[in-house]
Amino acid sequence: MAAAADSSGDGGTSSGEKTIVLVSSDNSARFEVREAAALLSQTVRRMIDEAGADASGDGITLPDVDAKTLAKVLEYCNKHAPASSSSSAAEAAPPAEGEEDLERFDREFVRVDMGTLYSLVTAASYLKIEGLLNLTCQTIADMIKGKTPEQIRKTLGITSEFTPEEEDEVRRENAWAF
Amino acid sequence: MSFRSLIQDMRDEFGSISRHSLRSRSHRSAGNASRAAAAGPSEAMDQSCWSQLPPELLREVLVRIEASESWWPARKDVVSCAGVCRTWRGIMKEAVRVPEVSGKLTFPISLKQPGPRDGTLKCFIRRNRTTQTYYLYIGLTEAYDVKFLLAARKCRKPTCTDYLISLDKVDMSKGSSTYIGKLRSNFLGTKFTVYDAHPPYDGAVVSKSRSARVVGLNQVSSRVPAGNYPVSHISYELNVLGSRGPRRMNCVMDSIPASAVEEGGKAPTQTEFLLSSLDSFPSIPFFRSKSARIESSTAQSSSQKKDRLVLKNKSPRWHEQLQCWCLNFRGRVTVASVKNFQLVASDDNGPGNQENVKVILQFGKIGKDLFTMDYRYPISAFQAFAICLSSFDTKIACE
Repeated sequence: MAAAADSSGDGGTSSGEKTIVLVSSDNSARFEVREAAALLSQTVRRMIDEAGADASGDGITLPDVDAKTLAKVLEYCNKHAPASSSSSAAEAAPPAEGEEDLERFDREFVRVDMGTLYSLVTAASYLKIEGLLNLTCQTIADMIKGKTPEQIRKTLGITSEFTPEEEDEVRRENAWAF
Repeated sequence: MSFRSLIQDMRDEFGSISRHSLRSRSHRSAGNASRAAAAGPSEAMDQSCWSQLPPELLREVLVRIEASESWWPARKDVVSCAGVCRTWRGIMKEAVRVPEVSGKLTFPISLKQPGPRDGTLKCFIRRNRTTQTYYLYIGLTEAYDVKFLLAARKCRKPTCTDYLISLDKVDMSKGSSTYIGKLRSNFLGTKFTVYDAHPPYDGAVVSKSRSARVVGLNQVSSRVPAGNYPVSHISYELNVLGSRGPRRMNCVMDSIPASAVEEGGKAPTQTEFLLSSLDSFPSIPFFRSKSARIESSTAQSSSQKKDRLVLKNKSPRWHEQLQCWCLNFRGRVTVASVKNFQLVASDDNGPGNQENVKVILQFGKIGKDLFTMDYRYPISAFQAFAICLSSFDTKIACE
């Protein structure tokens, strides 16, 4: 059983690094992660602060993140976690891994299908993990660049719902722009 | 349904991503309220989740695109995103700042909006003598990445000349949706009027063309152009030295108040091309003047003129050694020509202010049929282009 999360976070480790247990939305999976990794999520950070001394040993349930997505998110967090887990410095401290190594990891990390990408971006937003949010949003942005409106709609399965007048306006704009 | 076959289905259906049952629906309401509820399994397979992306997340994606694709041709990605659907359009239009602030041209309407307050937008004009057409591009010169902005075609008439200005290089007819205005010159080529096809601001007056019949407000004569709003009057005169000296230009910008160039001043900014329709006419008063032709500057009262921004060309200095009239074009104009000019706000045109005053429009030759045009706040690309066209046409020459 993992050590219960505690809010004092004095940044020191005694016999082992502090860990936190995160539980997926359907209660189907429990993940024990280093505190430094978990605290990359501002949402988790807030939950821990709010739980305070009442935190049970059962871990923190994340109602909006399913097991598969949580596993993937934690893969990111573990890689990007700072070496030390001092709670105030966690954002500012550099990650343990080298810059190039991380870039390579990030590139591979987002080579996923559209469904997973969607889950990741919404999870990153809910969990407030800045680096992951940046990475996923940028990936989606890069996917959109260079496409016509019709191609974007096809890729993302969107319908336009424009009125005929709006469509004319869009057509004129795109004729001029392309 | 097994997890594996679900993923397989997702991969197979191109562009159609489902809300899959992996997401626990029982905890949904506890979380993010902005996310739509999941549908039942079979319906979920047909629905796309991307259209359900929360607006704040969509915004994160779109602002990244807007920020990174600043210059043409990449900027077309911004226009593309604004054409995907209503939600995307709303977010993108809100993310794009006007050229006055950002210094970037994005949508066609940018061409009707004032240029940047900081710096100038550097454009160039290519003339095609055979087809009597002029093309405006943004970019340093053709050697760099350029973007076509506007085209103008010269149409000679018995008593005047019209330059029809369009968003399209080929289609320049007045009836087309790409027509955005024109420059009309008088017979002598000494006086010009710039007409905007769309109202430059609320309550703008429309001019009656001579060929129009008098009509009630609820009818539109088929001979009246869809929109004909005079936005500036340009005149050319010889200076005191006659044809031996540079000519004098005077531009009254009817749609821009003189206060626009003062501290805290604003210039009107169109936010969209208002569609010409019968509905829009009743709210717009028809201009009544003693003369049906707006070209005549005596038709305007002098008090009206005082409120409007007036641009005049900066007086060149006579260079004794070079024996020519010189203006400092800062490298953007390289061939001497009577067409070259720099326009400044008339209040700034006193003898003392010469070097520091902001040049609002600069135009000049750099090669055969090639000219640069640099403009800034408070005039728009459309107005700048029209004023430059007048310089091509004027018959007042200079030795």
